[in-house]
Amino acid sequence: MTSPRSTGTSVGPPGGRGPAPVSDARIINGVVIDDTFAEAFPMKATRLVITAHNLTWARHAAASATGFATSVIACGCEAGIERELGAEETPDGRPGLAILIFSMSGKELAKQVERRVGQCVLTCPTTAVFAGIAEGEAIALGKNLRFFGDGWQISKVIAGVRYWRIPVMDGEFVAQETTAVTKAVGGGNLLMLATDTDAALGAAEAAVQAMRRLPNVVMPFPGGVVRSGSKVGSKYATLSASTNDAFCPGLHGLVANSEITPEVRCVLEIVIDGLTEADVGAAMRAGMQACIAIGARGGLLRISAGNYGGKLGPYHFHLHKLLGAEGGQA
Amino acid sequence: MTRVRLVLKQAPALRVDMRGVTPAALAGLAPVQIERLTITHGTQTLALAEFFAVDSNTTPDAAGELMFEGDLSRFDRIGWQLGAGRIVVAGSVGDYAGACMSGGDMHVQGDAGMLAACEMAGGTLSIDGDVGDHAASSLPGSMDGMRGGTLIVRGRAGDRFADRMRRGSALVFGDVGDFLASRLVAGTIAIGGTAGAHVGYGMRRGSVVFAGSAPRVAPTFVPALADAAVAWQLLARDLARHGGPFEGLAGRRIVRHLGDLSADGRGELILAA
Repeated sequence: MTSPRSTGTSVGPPGGRGPAPVSDARIINGVVIDDTFAEAFPMKATRLVITAHNLTWARHAAASATGFATSVIACGCEAGIERELGAEETPDGRPGLAILIFSMSGKELAKQVERRVGQCVLTCPTTAVFAGIAEGEAIALGKNLRFFGDGWQISKVIAGVRYWRIPVMDGEFVAQETTAVTKAVGGGNLLMLATDTDAALGAAEAAVQAMRRLPNVVMPFPGGVVRSGSKVGSKYATLSASTNDAFCPGLHGLVANSEITPEVRCVLEIVIDGLTEADVGAAMRAGMQACIAIGARGGLLRISAGNYGGKLGPYHFHLHKLLGAEGGQA
Repeated sequence: MTRVRLVLKQAPALRVDMRGVTPAALAGLAPVQIERLTITHGTQTLALAEFFAVDSNTTPDAAGELMFEGDLSRFDRIGWQLGAGRIVVAGSVGDYAGACMSGGDMHVQGDAGMLAACEMAGGTLSIDGDVGDHAASSLPGSMDGMRGGTLIVRGRAGDRFADRMRRGSALVFGDVGDFLASRLVAGTIAIGGTAGAHVGYGMRRGSVVFAGSAPRVAPTFVPALADAAVAWQLLARDLARHGGPFEGLAGRRIVRHLGDLSADGRGELILAA
């Protein structure tokens, strides 16, 4: 299922998002852009810089540290690789990657950072880890992991920043003592409605590729794409979220509130977490533009978004506003 | 804020204790009030005007600035317990320069006597010339030496440099005397020249970088087999910004020795090839 801020949540009202008024939709390159908005929520986030002897090992560590981090519903956080860093961009002059980790509270974020860095970065050959954000409340990075050194760990303050040097079997693991937590925005989203699986995947992949060129955002689901969009609640009392039946082509004609038209056979969603509202908006815009470029001839019929009627999340990303003047009839 | 200029009239017959003469203490005072401030000359208490011509103006520096002109080699404790502001000495200073300072910035354009930066806890002390013995160390009878801030000596340093130092960074561009980093608790030391005998005697933790010639390493140190490339890059890049013998340090290979095994043994001597 998706994150609780996209199309389903344990805190949202029963029923999830309502149908978009298609009559007010705009059509660009044959693609219908619903007159609707994505509803996003405040989160807490941090950026970590992971370096290694070469990019391969930095990527192993980053992929591992951001694994099983698709949704806060069950993963505790949402995370992803933001971008590759050249040797000239990292504190130790080695290649690396920037990862972003988002959680619903600073306390949960601190827990996730410690677990993920401890199990996935400390363990990975040749890696080191640094804070990627300077301003904000400090949470532990290497502060507690240092005890793995069993008394042989060494503190080093360089240019006012404390690092921990923990002896390990390939040399030493260097970790900055703390990283900063910043306010962030989670749950920006796009829904792509297409004629078939190939068309939906093509549009989603193009959108994710465009979004990944932008800083300060991650798309936490596998490949940046989620197929199991969710709505709030379930017929089963123990479940807080369940499949987004309104967008399931297989339930067209079976559910009363279906959003599916007969030519739509596959729907995919992209969830976007970013450090600011502007970052999420920019990523959604880039994603929509990539989808529109594919157009109806590529099998993409419609772009929509998930919301709760605007009652829960303070951040509303209106698709037409994001596209601006481009949102005319084509 | 106030910029105060003190020009030495003539060298005193005895040593003068300058504690209490800081930018913060002089802030907001008129020149005539500053002239009446008292300092100790031997066993006498005399007005500042006995030794200095005073004038002042305003400076955009919010913490104030104090400038000395003349050879102040007989003036001790200049910058003692400096917490904020800037002190510039156009000449040499006596003992205890910048001792116990916790913040601010002090620049000595000549030499400094003994015990410069001893028990320094913050701020930056920069000395263009040489310093005497026991710089960055502890006050007599005290257990901990320098415990924060940055000391930069662009000339040479005497014996027992950074004895019992606990935290902070201390750099010497030139040579240092015997017992460098003796009983070092922690912190970072970088030497651009040659070190005397008994380097790191009884050091427990901390790092001593030799950018110049390699010192004689005591048998109570062991060669480090493990790579410490990341920590070295972080350290070397920070030291390189000071220029001089530390420029280009990050591009040099290193050999490390760990010790002193007669103490805690977690310190390191880093020899840059």
